[in-house]
Amino acid sequence: MGSWLDYTINGLIIGNIYALVAVGLALIFGVSNLINFAQGSVYAVGAYIGWTCFTYLHTPLAVTALIVVVACAGLGVAIERIGLRPLAGAARIAPLLATIGISLVLDQLLQIVFTPDPRALTSPLPNWRISVGGGTIGALDLLIAATGIVSAAVLYGFLRFTKLGWAVRATAQDRDAARQMGVNTDAVNMTVFAIASALGGLSGLLVGMYFNHIDPAMGFQATLKGVVAQVIGGMGNVPGAIFGSLLLGLTESYGVAIFGSSYRNLFSFALLLLILVLRPNGLFASARSTPPEPMTGSFVTPNRPVRVPRWAIVAAVVIAAAVPLIPAIPYVLQVLTNAWLFAMLAISLTLVAGTLGQISLGHASLLLIGAYASALFALDSHWPVWASIPAAGIVTALLGTALIAPSFRLRSHYVSIATLGIGEIVGLVILNWESLTRGPMGVTNIPPLQVGNIELDNPRAAYWITLGILVLLAMMQTRLLRSHLGRIFRAIRDDDVAARAHGISLGRYKAIAFAFGGFAAGISGGIAAHQYSYINNETFTSTVSISALTMVILGGMGNVLGAILGAVALTALPEMFRGTAEYRMLIYGVALLLLVRFRPQGILGTT
Amino acid sequence: MRLSRRTLLAAAAATLPAVRARAAEPIMAGVSGPLTGPNAQYGAQWKRGFDLALDGINGAGGVKGRPIEYVFEDSQSDPRQSVAVAQKLVADPRIIIELGDFASPASMAASPIYQRAKLVQFGFTNSHPDFTKGGDHMWSNSTSQAEEQPNLAGYAAKLGFKRPALLHLNTDWGRTAKDAFVAAAPGLGMQVVDVEGYLAAEQDFRPTLVRARDSKPDGLVLLSYYADGALISRQARDTGVKLPILAGTSNYSPKFIELGGQGVEGDWVMSTFFPGDPRPEVQDFVTRYRKKYDQEPDSFSAGAYDTMVLFSLLCAQFGTTREAMQAGLLAIKDVPSVIYGRVTFDPATRRVLGANYKLLQVKDQKFMVWDGTPPAAG
Amino acid sequence: MTDLLECRAVTRRFGGVIAVKPIDLTLREGEFLSIIGPNGAGKTTLFNLISGHDVPDDGTIVLEGVAIAGRAPERIAAMGLARTFQHGRVFANMSVRDNILVGAHHRLRAVKPRLPGLGALAELAMALIRPPAVAAEEAALNHEVLEIAALFGDRLTPRLDQPAHSLSYANRRRVEIARALALRPRLLLLDEPTAGMNETETAEMQSIIGGLKARGQTILLIEHKLDLVMRLSDRVIAMDDGAKIAEGPPHTVRQSPAVIEAYLGHRAMGEAAL
Repeated sequence: MGSWLDYTINGLIIGNIYALVAVGLALIFGVSNLINFAQGSVYAVGAYIGWTCFTYLHTPLAVTALIVVVACAGLGVAIERIGLRPLAGAARIAPLLATIGISLVLDQLLQIVFTPDPRALTSPLPNWRISVGGGTIGALDLLIAATGIVSAAVLYGFLRFTKLGWAVRATAQDRDAARQMGVNTDAVNMTVFAIASALGGLSGLLVGMYFNHIDPAMGFQATLKGVVAQVIGGMGNVPGAIFGSLLLGLTESYGVAIFGSSYRNLFSFALLLLILVLRPNGLFASARSTPPEPMTGSFVTPNRPVRVPRWAIVAAVVIAAAVPLIPAIPYVLQVLTNAWLFAMLAISLTLVAGTLGQISLGHASLLLIGAYASALFALDSHWPVWASIPAAGIVTALLGTALIAPSFRLRSHYVSIATLGIGEIVGLVILNWESLTRGPMGVTNIPPLQVGNIELDNPRAAYWITLGILVLLAMMQTRLLRSHLGRIFRAIRDDDVAARAHGISLGRYKAIAFAFGGFAAGISGGIAAHQYSYINNETFTSTVSISALTMVILGGMGNVLGAILGAVALTALPEMFRGTAEYRMLIYGVALLLLVRFRPQGILGTT
Repeated sequence: MRLSRRTLLAAAAATLPAVRARAAEPIMAGVSGPLTGPNAQYGAQWKRGFDLALDGINGAGGVKGRPIEYVFEDSQSDPRQSVAVAQKLVADPRIIIELGDFASPASMAASPIYQRAKLVQFGFTNSHPDFTKGGDHMWSNSTSQAEEQPNLAGYAAKLGFKRPALLHLNTDWGRTAKDAFVAAAPGLGMQVVDVEGYLAAEQDFRPTLVRARDSKPDGLVLLSYYADGALISRQARDTGVKLPILAGTSNYSPKFIELGGQGVEGDWVMSTFFPGDPRPEVQDFVTRYRKKYDQEPDSFSAGAYDTMVLFSLLCAQFGTTREAMQAGLLAIKDVPSVIYGRVTFDPATRRVLGANYKLLQVKDQKFMVWDGTPPAAG
Repeated sequence: MTDLLECRAVTRRFGGVIAVKPIDLTLREGEFLSIIGPNGAGKTTLFNLISGHDVPDDGTIVLEGVAIAGRAPERIAAMGLARTFQHGRVFANMSVRDNILVGAHHRLRAVKPRLPGLGALAELAMALIRPPAVAAEEAALNHEVLEIAALFGDRLTPRLDQPAHSLSYANRRRVEIARALALRPRLLLLDEPTAGMNETETAEMQSIIGGLKARGQTILLIEHKLDLVMRLSDRVIAMDDGAKIAEGPPHTVRQSPAVIEAYLGHRAMGEAAL
């Protein structure tokens, strides 16, 4: 069929576009061992700088590109110098969170300066096209391909043949050793951020021209696809990133060809998981590489957690339970109810991410599973709500653990990326499995919270129920952490090689932790479904996963009380900034950055 | 914005009644919608529509000497925040009607709260068929897909489509629209040969278009928002798909042409309103919009504008309490509207029928009323 | 005495480099065997192969009559093999007490009911319910921790509740050994237990290891400090360049020309202390 040529070409064209972002991500990961979530934002900034140049300065493309490259390199230096370098001694997770904060701030700034409307970024290139198969390829496609290949080649040459390039590679291999050998690793890092950001900005310009469309939110999707592409090619492998991008583009194109457009991302993320499970070091790594060096102690910031006396906790619970008694406005109760629901998700995540050390970026999918399970039990099986919610917790525990189980043998960043992929897959399966989930129309008329005939559908009752369940879950988790399981989870987090040497089977204990955490998250999703009365596949998105992680880190990794505190703080903060309307997410981003900078171990400290 | 003597004068004139009205208590509407987050662009359009309507209403002395104001609570169109916003709005006794939210998950999650408080939730972008079934206080003047799609299908038939391929946004909105179109097609002698539901954040439509092309259609129908619609049309031309393209009302936006460029030249777009429409409501809206914002209005700002005008008339005719809003919506008739000729609600569905549907065509990078020339045989 | 551990023609290649050339090794119950050799001789790789952290390309490893090559390290640990690591791998953010308790993991019984298929679930339930039998087991283990810590004089006992990252390097090595002892190993693999220790500390460690030997503990030791090796070992194997170059009683091996040659040849590496 002639169309296969078209699908192939289309796959290569879009893969070509993914490659531009993936190369920048790979470079930074290779040297700093960091997934730079701000890369997509730099890409958006580059696109907007280009738009400004075209619109107001009327500069030709070459000059515009030069301005974008220089400005974004400067931005990269600033990100490294101001946002990341001060975190050098902190836990590995701190810079990751900082890049999320930087990305929030940059996206919001773009939105405030340029308005959220999409804009056209019209390519000044001559509009000649050559026919290939049934379609055509234009000058811009060739320019994008050339940019990808040339930048990879220049990077390769730079890393291989220049002194600074050697320093970069030495730093990538062993930062401490490089420093001892006199390499100025700070300068290396700054160089790498400058190069990657320059490339990111240039990509934003070119991709914006390709789609004739830029908007302030364009960065997130770009980062997502870029991360997937570079995992396929091997994290930190620059030529691999290009290959991975092309393969990703082809997979998507063929996936659409065979199954239809609505399944598109399902195939990218399925490919991602397949490669993670079968060849976790990417397609180019040798099958059996030496086990990685231990990262003992680098996972959480060494610190002494704040000891909160028992009476203070009891007092806090009593005060929280008394809030509805004072003539509080329902709005405050609703915000706090949301905070308790988020807190259930946060204690679930703090268990797997903080105590067990498996940073999940797809935790919102557990909410989705819980919400759908409880809604469908109540509607389709006519279960009472008091039974459907705990059942949803159990279903989430089982299903969530089964989904993550193939990734149990992965470590550090690979776990995060796998969970990111699983999260996206859950959303897409819900969208497409219409006979069960009702697809994009979502589930309507979910019965409200009730016991018997008593509807508990008022803010006070909902508040007390969620608070009560949260306290119960938190107590159970505290008890769990004080048992031998808490010890085992922490041992796995601190050093899984040593843990195995003492007879700890990773799969079994990861499953226990994910099941316990999945239960709490499923309960939270289940309650939310009955509270909202309507859910669909977009009710809990990846933004929720990121918020939950922020709460966990803010409160202190692994710290149950900290997770609850983080949930209250991060639910309340945006509400408090409500008066500032468009600026509130910006303030939130800045607050996040300051916290990571000045208290990387979180408010109550890691445990 | 350039300041001219005329705008200065107009501004000065506008402040006079405002000063007089300041003494009076404002009439308040609460808005729950996205000002930040991925849907912020639509919230921004709403604000433009609201503000323009209020310039006119408050400029003319408000309602019985009281100005109308609104509080816009940013929900990011996120259900967690829209329920909190709902509690905040229902607890504020000054607020007598709620407008929004944008997407169905956020709007419908908040519905039980508004229903309990007997505060009208007026979801003017909520076309989800179940939105107004959330309770008798859920109302919408969003064009009903059950009405819109047969009109679109009718135009498709007039354009000579026999075997259209359908590309739709795979959300509750796009799905409702698609189902309605597919249901209407056979009665008009059309057979939909391919349906492609694409994902919300998608930008690359080339493989989707090849798939659609391979079903040998004689035209493409786009049930998309303007930003996706422009991308699809451009990429259709790049992939060598020369079929005529017909797009639904949510593509009517100056951004469709701005983002689509030559790629949307010749496309047909159905619209509920058109700046060239001679009706005075439309002319008033369009001229003032252009003057105030130095850009062309789109269907989102028009919907917000219509809604604010409706609110002012409800207040003028039925009073300024929450109960009055509910009673008024049941009773009000023939409200002038940019999108509809005249608005009257069906008390059973709490929706509006009878929108004006026009077929426009992009000619020389401008929307023109279609002159009836059928597409060249492609 | 029977053979506790028996390695036959065990081989490990990394790319083109042969890290362990086909090597034979046997260890009897209660025996103290040391492996010496310059850096890069393949000693630690051999340890990793025995403990299951790496998989041999060829050869067999038999522990108490069971072939274990390629088995997961946790399963080998459950058979009674404990090890320490060359560079020290304590659980940095856990207290000394918890570090040692982790060592006793495979001896937990009450909290791990044997239910086919549902073992993990039952273990979770036991941890949450904490019935008397489970509480008693924890208490007994905690008591045992005190006994193990006492082996190290007052080095660990006063620091039981301190996080391991706050300890000195030497103390972290002691924690690792204490943790290995909590497993009550049938076979104990010690990888350079005195690395980084001064003379006093080394002497102290030597007496501790000597005490273990006196209790009849079977030990396989990698060590550079030949004094310690000579005093404690029943038998010594010398390795160089992945191969066994000498084997026998300590003094025979020490005087073997091949061993002297290997150490002289590597003198530049600065490790040999002949």
